[in-house]
Amino acid sequence: MDRLQSVPTNKHYPHKMSTKYWKGVEELRNDAEFVRLKNNEFPEHLPLDEVLNEKAVDITVTPRRDFLKFLGFTVAAASLAACEAPVRKSIPYLVKPEEVTPGVANWYASSYHDGYDYCSVLVKTREGRPIKIEGNPLSSVTKGGVNARVQASVLSLYDSVRLKGPMADGAPASWSTIDSAIKSKLESIAAAKGNIRILSSTVISPSTKWIISEFASKFPNTKHVTYDAVSYSAMRQANKESFGVEEIPTYNFDKANVIVALDCDFLGNWISPVEHARLYAETRKLNNGKKTMSRHIQFESALSLTGSNADTRVGVKPSMQGAAIANLYNAVAKLAGASTVNAAAAGDLQKDIEATAKELWENKGKSVVVCGINNIAIQNLVCGINSLLGNYGTTIDLDNPSMLRQGNDAELAALLDEMNKGEVGALLIYNCNPAYTLPNGNQFTDALKKVSLSVSFADRADETSLSCKYICPDHHNLESWNDFEPRKGAYSLSQPTIAPLFETRQMQERLLTWAGNTTNYHDYIAQHWASNILKGANWNKTLQDGVLESTPVSSKNYKSSANLTAAADAVSKMSGSGIEMMVYEKVGIGNGQQANNPWLQELPDPVSKVTWDNYLAVSPKDAREKSWTQGNVVMVKANGVSVAVPIFIQPGQMPGTVSLALGYGRTNAGKVADGVGKNAYPFTSMNSGNIQYWATGVEISKTTEDDHKLAATQLHHTMMGRAIVKQTVLEEYIKNPNAGNEEELFNVHLGKEVTKKKATEANLWNDHEEGNHHWGMSIDLNSCIGCGACVVACTAENNVPVVGKEEVMRSREMHWIRIDRYFTSDFDPKEGEKGDIKKMENPSDMPKVVFQPVMCQHCAHAPCETVCPVVATSHSSEGMNQMIYNRCVGTRYCANNCPYKVRRFNWFRYADNAKFDFNMNNDLGKMVLNPDVTVRSRGVMEKCSLCVQRLQEGKLNAKRESRTVKDGEVKTACAQSCPTNAITFGDYKIKDSELSKMWKPEERSYHLLEELDVQPNVFYQTKVRNVEEGMAKAEEKHS
Amino acid sequence: MHKDYYKRCKSFLFSFLILSSVFISRVSAQDGEALFKANCTSCHAVKDKVVGPALAGVDTRHSEEWLLKWVKNSQALVKAGDAEAVKLFNDNNKVMMPSQSLKDPEIKAIFAYVKKAEQVVETTAAPASGEQGQTEEPGKNTFLYLLIAAVLLFLITGVLRRVQHVLAKTVRQKEGLPEPPVRSRWQGFVYWSRHNKKLLAVILIVLMLVGSVKAWYGMMSIGISQGYTPDQPIAFNHKLHAGTNGISCIYCHSGAEKGKTAGIPSANVCMNCHKFIKKGPTTGTTEIAKIYKALDYDPDKGTYGPNQKPIQWVRVHSLPDLAYFNHSQHFVVGKIACETCHGPIKDSMTVASQYSPLTMGWCINCHRTTPVKMAGNNYYNDYHKTLLEKYGNDSLINVEQIGGTECARCHY
Repeated sequence: MDRLQSVPTNKHYPHKMSTKYWKGVEELRNDAEFVRLKNNEFPEHLPLDEVLNEKAVDITVTPRRDFLKFLGFTVAAASLAACEAPVRKSIPYLVKPEEVTPGVANWYASSYHDGYDYCSVLVKTREGRPIKIEGNPLSSVTKGGVNARVQASVLSLYDSVRLKGPMADGAPASWSTIDSAIKSKLESIAAAKGNIRILSSTVISPSTKWIISEFASKFPNTKHVTYDAVSYSAMRQANKESFGVEEIPTYNFDKANVIVALDCDFLGNWISPVEHARLYAETRKLNNGKKTMSRHIQFESALSLTGSNADTRVGVKPSMQGAAIANLYNAVAKLAGASTVNAAAAGDLQKDIEATAKELWENKGKSVVVCGINNIAIQNLVCGINSLLGNYGTTIDLDNPSMLRQGNDAELAALLDEMNKGEVGALLIYNCNPAYTLPNGNQFTDALKKVSLSVSFADRADETSLSCKYICPDHHNLESWNDFEPRKGAYSLSQPTIAPLFETRQMQERLLTWAGNTTNYHDYIAQHWASNILKGANWNKTLQDGVLESTPVSSKNYKSSANLTAAADAVSKMSGSGIEMMVYEKVGIGNGQQANNPWLQELPDPVSKVTWDNYLAVSPKDAREKSWTQGNVVMVKANGVSVAVPIFIQPGQMPGTVSLALGYGRTNAGKVADGVGKNAYPFTSMNSGNIQYWATGVEISKTTEDDHKLAATQLHHTMMGRAIVKQTVLEEYIKNPNAGNEEELFNVHLGKEVTKKKATEANLWNDHEEGNHHWGMSIDLNSCIGCGACVVACTAENNVPVVGKEEVMRSREMHWIRIDRYFTSDFDPKEGEKGDIKKMENPSDMPKVVFQPVMCQHCAHAPCETVCPVVATSHSSEGMNQMIYNRCVGTRYCANNCPYKVRRFNWFRYADNAKFDFNMNNDLGKMVLNPDVTVRSRGVMEKCSLCVQRLQEGKLNAKRESRTVKDGEVKTACAQSCPTNAITFGDYKIKDSELSKMWKPEERSYHLLEELDVQPNVFYQTKVRNVEEGMAKAEEKHS
Repeated sequence: MHKDYYKRCKSFLFSFLILSSVFISRVSAQDGEALFKANCTSCHAVKDKVVGPALAGVDTRHSEEWLLKWVKNSQALVKAGDAEAVKLFNDNNKVMMPSQSLKDPEIKAIFAYVKKAEQVVETTAAPASGEQGQTEEPGKNTFLYLLIAAVLLFLITGVLRRVQHVLAKTVRQKEGLPEPPVRSRWQGFVYWSRHNKKLLAVILIVLMLVGSVKAWYGMMSIGISQGYTPDQPIAFNHKLHAGTNGISCIYCHSGAEKGKTAGIPSANVCMNCHKFIKKGPTTGTTEIAKIYKALDYDPDKGTYGPNQKPIQWVRVHSLPDLAYFNHSQHFVVGKIACETCHGPIKDSMTVASQYSPLTMGWCINCHRTTPVKMAGNNYYNDYHKTLLEKYGNDSLINVEQIGGTECARCHY
């Protein structure tokens, strides 16, 4: 058929000449034949039938001789190609730095702070590039803990989206031109008495603050406005009103017997989660004969990480938070004999509130009430409760306050107002992304247009910096000098662990330069530390330690002097209607700052287990009533904003409420984050001077869009009546330490005889010979909070590839360690009918939650080893189950025979593969890889190796130094990173090792799926909840 | 009798004295070279200025008496204000020559050697390169001889065949037998093979066997680069440095003590010596100049320039990425000598060459046969006792017995 393109003549279509083209004259004429063919995609008849029938197959033979020729040629070509070894170059240093030995890692003490997360860290570098971040045990703030986001920040360093140099008006420019342009502009603004504003997230660097004040003295109309994407402003103001101290206190959770939290995710995100997790876990541990633990009561609507760990969890709608707090205050006040305030009725909550108040009062001075609601009146009442309980000076320390959140919503609002009025001459934006994180980002970008000089220090052209005139990219944390003061009097230093990768420059140096000071930032810090902070301490020693901490001042008891009657009146006005929505932070993505980090995107949310997405979490009850199903795309309308999001049915979500995570829906973060999820910040609003993170009267309507697929790593919810996570309650445990972990006997058939025996007594296999070590691991389910730090640590240590959403949906995620989350079920298998067994899969609407990290259990009698046809997996004399990639042929028999399902198969080559365009597909991202661990290729199985590279290194160090391996000297990445020390790694052969102590006398210890008698070298310890016995009975019934 | 004996003894003693004096004087003359190398070469060369001036013609510039004083304590002379000494001190950037604790005859021997070396130094380089050329000859020659032998044998068989043919023809003519059919070579072969089927089968089977064995080994050697001796950007001579000069391997490959890679020394390590040694005995200045070029170093001024460029060595030993090998484990803990794996690097390897096959079989074999050096290493304290109970004898506790052939010791 002739398919020339023909241009229509004027005669036929005089007006549409330039728009319409035809494939041929047939189309123009609209022949009947053309119409027939047009509807047929393949115009010619395809000879499929002829080709595929049996006769045809016989005719169309590939001659045997041809086949052999081709085969021979291919083999010859392949072997010839293999014969030629490539010439490899080996390029040593010209002048080798003294401290660098190729192949030996260097560690530097440093600190991580991005305006959001803070951790004192140790950075592992290999040949001059940072590859791993671990906690610094010398810090009294984070005590060696690190969370998932800080762990993952090492990958953010190698983000290819980072700007390679400064930008002016969207085009690359040179630093000298930008510097002089900005400097002269600032000078002219200052000369005209124009306002200069620095907008930043919380700055905890003393030197930066000095530099800002130096800048302000050069340009007198300068003001520094601080705001946090997730604001804590109300807390600071409430502390000012109550105690005259505009600070956020330090919370000593370790001293608390009763912890009451109201919409406060203090283990996941609130202020200083790593610090809290450490302290909280100390009160939960039951080892070495300790039989007491704290009691944790959580009031919340959305199931948070902290709520999942609570002993008792009570559902409260966001609009009822005020009433709940006021009534709690009254209940405590009654017990304390203090005057009460007006409070709206709390309805069903009243009973729980009074019970809570009783417990609090019984533990006065040893309790703590924390609240994550950004509302001054509520926070004032919380201060009032803690003050009545006498918690200041014991569990709450206002004299050594936390510096980690300093945002001030009122100043932010004033700045926006100024900008709108055109009163701001210059705006310098540091470490924050207001165009994305403000309730109304568009208004901000519009107002920004009225600012004549806008400068962003962002590392990428993000939502905010795109609308700025200049982008002066700052160094990454790992490339820069800095100093921090996370808690008053506790200082830490940050030092560069790699030379800047790009043409970036330190923000602080820019400010100095523009103010006419040419000191570099390192010298500036050193000088100011020498005169203000060091006080005789040695600079080099401080740099080596990473921290310098003065003895904390003794904390005093404070009495609230706030007008609580007014506060109570204010909260009684809070009301809600219809469905109420909370927006919250996830432990992976957080406020969205590091959204372009694929490790964090692939980290499953601890509670929902969903990766690569945010979603509208709804309660199972609401879903049933409104007939929403998983993945339904609904239109959520609140605060005048409409967003289409998928439904996720979340057990534990309070009926009548929904929740949506912040940090997603980035538009200019980079290829990993852009378009993942929806932005929830527009649902926040400014309410009575503070940003409010909940909305009421939410309208949810179904859309016609196809269901959205959510990639979850765990699709089942309950343990189906099995004791996978063994549990008990404290009371039972005190009576009988074996509670929940009673010895189980199994029927053993010896000939015709049937006897009851312990699983370990019925043994089919011979024991392995033991070498010099016997490595093992203990996981205390009572201290595991499910935060996911271990998952990211393992990913970083073991070069675990990121597979992306599509592959996670096919259950092909590669994480070597997963954290299983189980909900309790209402179904009782003892009472239920046989056919009802499926109901066990349904979790309760408000279930209890348990977390269980599962990695390869390193079975002594490993089922995987016996089925491998090529012995690619075998047992070592040190108790490890070894996986040998180069021997594996990919039968996957082992994965099928593994009772713990911990083996991962490489379905693809994830490195250098454009289909998996994450960090392993570009040279920059590959710099994060650990050179001691093989990057696995397609077609092989992999799994937890017990960080064998670390063990080998530890052993070698001991051998070289002619000594034994000390207990705790070598740790797996997961054990090292655990902020709560739930994972203990060690050597069974060391008699008094931490591990041996965990195993032998500890009655809570058990092996997972003990009845299989695979004799794992990893063991768990029973989860104990601190609830009353009555509840315990109910729990036993449902687990 | 007695007198005779005494006389004989006397003459013996006398001759001994004479002989020994000759012997002693000879020793000191020869020692000049050794003394020079031991005491002077770090700062002096015969013909070139190193730190101190070139020593050639030193006897013409200074008196022997003055030289003796100078060598023993140069600083005293300078301090005393000796004009000659002060000038020399100033001319050489005021670098103090350390006092040498040498005796007069030793110093004299050194200067005697210097005088002798003045003439010799020039010519040493030439025979060395000649020697190198000769080492390559034998290989070529053998091949040539073989070729000549083959040609000769071919000719002889041709002649013999012809002779036999003529003789057979004569015999046939004599006996009046008919002419045999005329066959081409191929037809002749076919005819022969028809009548020698068994022999042919045997030959074919042998050929096939040899062929398959060859093919098997050929295939097994794919990816094995034993003997790989690539050309390097600088013709570094291991034999000269580690062998002749006796420099410890660890001096340059210091990583072997500390970590997994022994490491190729950075150019600054070369400069520790080559700042002073500007000329080598085999290649003169050409190869050393390449180090200077990489560092943009001016040997006359002793300054480094900005145009430094790393040296791109060609990697000789390369394990696959899937195998983890740690030098310090073997060198420090296992006390394995470098030569065990790297071969006679000090004795015969002018250019670094892969001596061992570096196959897994080779590794495992060594692990199976090498006893672990546990004595004195506290890491093994208790374990050693357990193993001794089990195996009875240290020599039976090989690396394999402590799990050294387990997969995850090298593969992870």
